[in-house]
Amino acid sequence: MAPNIAGSPTGAIAAGLLVAAIYFVAVPLAFGDSGYFLSVITTMAGISFISFGVWLTFAIGRINLAQAGFALIGAYTTGILVSRFGVSFWICLPLSGVVAAALGGLIGWPVLRLKGVYFAMITLCITEACRLAALSFPAVTRGAQGIVDLPLPGDLSIFGFVLVPAFEKGARLPFFFLAGALMMAGLTFMWLLDTSRVGAVFRSLRQNEDLASSLGINVAKYRVVAFMVSCFYAGVGGAFFAAMQQNVYPTTFQVIDSVYFMVYCFVGGLEFVIGPLIGTVLLMLSFELLHEFQRYQTVIFSGLMILCILLMPNGVLSIFRRRQTVSGEKPDA
Amino acid sequence: MAQVLLNALVVGTTYALIALGITIIFSIMKIVNFAHGQLYMIGGFVVYYFNVVFGLPFWFGLLMSFVIVGAMGIAMELFLFRPVMLRVKREEVTMLLAMGTAVFLESLALIVFGEKQRGVPPIATGVVELFGARLPTGRIVVIGVAALLIVALMLFIGYTKTGRALRAMAQDREATALQGVNLKWLSAAGFGLGTGLAGLAGGLLVAIFAVHSGAGTAISIKAFLMIMIGGAGVLSGAILGGFVLGVLESVGYALLPGSMTFLVIFLIVIGFLIVRPNGIMGKPWG
Amino acid sequence: MKLKGFEVTRLVRSMALATTAGVFALAAPAQAADTLKLGALGVMSGPFAGWGGVMCQTFKSRAGMWNDDGGVKIGDKTYQIEVVCVDDKGDPKGAQTGAEKLISEGIKYIQGPNTDSTAESAKTVMEANKTINMPYAFSKSLYTPPASQSILGMVASYQVGPVIYKWLMDNKGTKKIAFLSENNADPINQRNEGSAAAKALGLEVVSDQETYETGTTDFFPVLTKVIGTAPDHIVLSGVNPSDVGPLIKAARELGFEGTMSTETGQDPKAIFEVAGEAANGFIVAGGASTEAIRSDFMVKFIERYTKDWGEWNDVAGLFVYGPEIMVQTLQAVGPSALDDTEAFKAALDGFSGTNPFLKDGGTLRYVGRKDYGQARQVSVPIVVQVVKDGAYEPLFVGELAD
Repeated sequence: MAPNIAGSPTGAIAAGLLVAAIYFVAVPLAFGDSGYFLSVITTMAGISFISFGVWLTFAIGRINLAQAGFALIGAYTTGILVSRFGVSFWICLPLSGVVAAALGGLIGWPVLRLKGVYFAMITLCITEACRLAALSFPAVTRGAQGIVDLPLPGDLSIFGFVLVPAFEKGARLPFFFLAGALMMAGLTFMWLLDTSRVGAVFRSLRQNEDLASSLGINVAKYRVVAFMVSCFYAGVGGAFFAAMQQNVYPTTFQVIDSVYFMVYCFVGGLEFVIGPLIGTVLLMLSFELLHEFQRYQTVIFSGLMILCILLMPNGVLSIFRRRQTVSGEKPDA
Repeated sequence: MAQVLLNALVVGTTYALIALGITIIFSIMKIVNFAHGQLYMIGGFVVYYFNVVFGLPFWFGLLMSFVIVGAMGIAMELFLFRPVMLRVKREEVTMLLAMGTAVFLESLALIVFGEKQRGVPPIATGVVELFGARLPTGRIVVIGVAALLIVALMLFIGYTKTGRALRAMAQDREATALQGVNLKWLSAAGFGLGTGLAGLAGGLLVAIFAVHSGAGTAISIKAFLMIMIGGAGVLSGAILGGFVLGVLESVGYALLPGSMTFLVIFLIVIGFLIVRPNGIMGKPWG
Repeated sequence: MKLKGFEVTRLVRSMALATTAGVFALAAPAQAADTLKLGALGVMSGPFAGWGGVMCQTFKSRAGMWNDDGGVKIGDKTYQIEVVCVDDKGDPKGAQTGAEKLISEGIKYIQGPNTDSTAESAKTVMEANKTINMPYAFSKSLYTPPASQSILGMVASYQVGPVIYKWLMDNKGTKKIAFLSENNADPINQRNEGSAAAKALGLEVVSDQETYETGTTDFFPVLTKVIGTAPDHIVLSGVNPSDVGPLIKAARELGFEGTMSTETGQDPKAIFEVAGEAANGFIVAGGASTEAIRSDFMVKFIERYTKDWGEWNDVAGLFVYGPEIMVQTLQAVGPSALDDTEAFKAALDGFSGTNPFLKDGGTLRYVGRKDYGQARQVSVPIVVQVVKDGAYEPLFVGELAD
């Protein structure tokens, strides 16, 4: 069955258009002058974009804690190219994704043979190794000093025709729209992937790799492709945050970020393409709202997180799914 | 060089103690307890409070660290992990639950215990010179106790009825249940034993190191390294993994520039796991 | 099951509703009359919570004292001070949204953040919104033009390091020096700066490449190598408060007999508790709450902090300089600075206030012209002190150069 809330392609497209309309029209109109609100939404969109990648590795049955490591690789790719070689941000953005995906392919090929907890722990090691590598090779990464004062993205033009004007200092809307565009593109691609034949193959990998392999599916190849796509998302997302923060440090993305990417996917619901987005929105907003509790903020936040997992172990979106099942469909597994 | 080897021995023994608790839980429940480091930290604070704040003997505090943290583990099993595992089969769920618990315990500890680092008065004073290497007496006592604990645990698992039931459950839950073993009770007890060991390790090591509320995550990451090296779910693997990491760390710091040591260790572990996915002692599993 | 699902749906719906309502509430700036809102932005959870948490508590306690005295008079009006603390979790992303949050509440003056990466990320927001902030991070690009909104709230390690090393050379005959730091951005930067300063003074740096990982429990392995190079003095660069005690203890147990120091604020009681007598003689550059030099006012502040938060932390004696000079400057400039930080910045060069925390008084000024090319540093006195049985004894008090 189509893993989407709406259940049918038209419904999904309608839902996607609705999200886009809210993001690009309603939010700027209503909150255009609240820097705080725009900043939260921008970060949220960027984080959910990176989380889509984690979601894809979940779809093939792997618990991926390397995402922050690859996001760091993406951030450094952009940081180094922009600050040292003056390459345009608009070239760096996709290039960071490509670099992360290439490295992901290299590392992923052997590592993806591991499963379950072992894969989770080895990917956690990869994230740590990325941070340590960034610290250990100051000749390339400037090490502990970090890359600071990155210029804002310039204009994007083709044959003299300006597609995106240069980002102005202090303007929040450009990054807001960029994050939104990334998020929508990422979501659309994930949806297309998930509803395609490849998506079905990915799901079969999660259920039973041996069976898939006996059906003539090149399991190793599909696994690596899924992992590379995931790393691409991480790399592009990392590049985005490097530009927005205008700096890259070894601590820009750390293990705890990997954990949160995973939590966001999970709280949203692993069966749903839009899960990471929902999870990110719910958890990040609730963290911001809990600010009133001051030093109890993190305790209450993590308590809510635990409660979320306890009450809805299949994700928030599974509630909608269950209603569907009740209203006639055959329950699966 | 003698100092380096002695360091490796001390670090290895303490690591082995840390790795045992997480391994027990993993072997019987297939849960990676991400909150292990936080429980270790709480164990340290329990000893601190009994010993320094209430003025009771260190060894009593140590006993309490096992009891209190063990009880926390039983509660975690009963009220968090069991209800969720009954409803969902995906292993991600328990992992996330453990991660959530880790964040929760850490932020709670910050409020309850404060931000400062804590230590207890030395349990023994003086330094022994051994082949030109220095070994403080306090460390000798702690290492001795740690070794005793490890041996006692191995005997408990190997030769008592409960221990054998735990081992049986780790191998095959259904078959164990058919033998008339009460799985509900046993898995709660096993979980409590695992977390109790974490508390015990934290409580014992606070005698020679120190503890603060943010110490947990780093301990957990090291514990993962150990069980990956040794093999998840095998007790002998946990001990071996602890010692291997101890040697790698001590020798690494002696030979490499400091910042490279753990980078190299991580790369070795990643490379090693690719060649031998189940660690040194691990058995293949799903 | 159906019922349960339904309930959960309702829960989610009400959560969503509450969320939307809350966001609306937050988005509207609430500025009550005669209340001056000031901010604190820093890492208040996780392994480094010791920095930002204490900073926030310090600010709140100091504000409480002002309010109990009837408030702060700026121009013709008297204001009650309200402190808003935001936890950035040590995460650069959190620092940006955190800064935006404080700004959205109409706050123009912020203490923090606490690390290089969070301060650099917050900088983009601070500069764009003309908000003054007072980071406890040493990255020079924060304070050097074109940046103009950040003011370093403490003495930088590269400023105090040479002072301590010089003192050691003159008084202890130190010749060989070693540096040890955590393998993390901020400490490594401080180590590099310290090592360069030591070389410039003519000291022989025998070891400056050794680091340990965050959360190390046993420091024997790394210290074995450092002590093997036979230094007279070991500098613990940018050391996290949680590691100081164990490091000192391990070094002494390994038979190290030279001197040791750090350039970041530490709590002597906590060090003593872990390291015992081994901690005696440890040199720290930090707060100004040492008994021998502190004023009665500092004692009052210590009492207030202890009452509010249960236990005194010596680092608070450093953090309290931030709110103090911030408010004194606002009073000197007058109401125009409340809405416009340009007026505040224009006053930095000429400002001279009183230091209430030292027995001998002295002035509070903005310095840093030599290091940053503009006055963007609080003139916290360089108090170099030594740990003695769980308390500090001052070695000497120095002053920052203009």
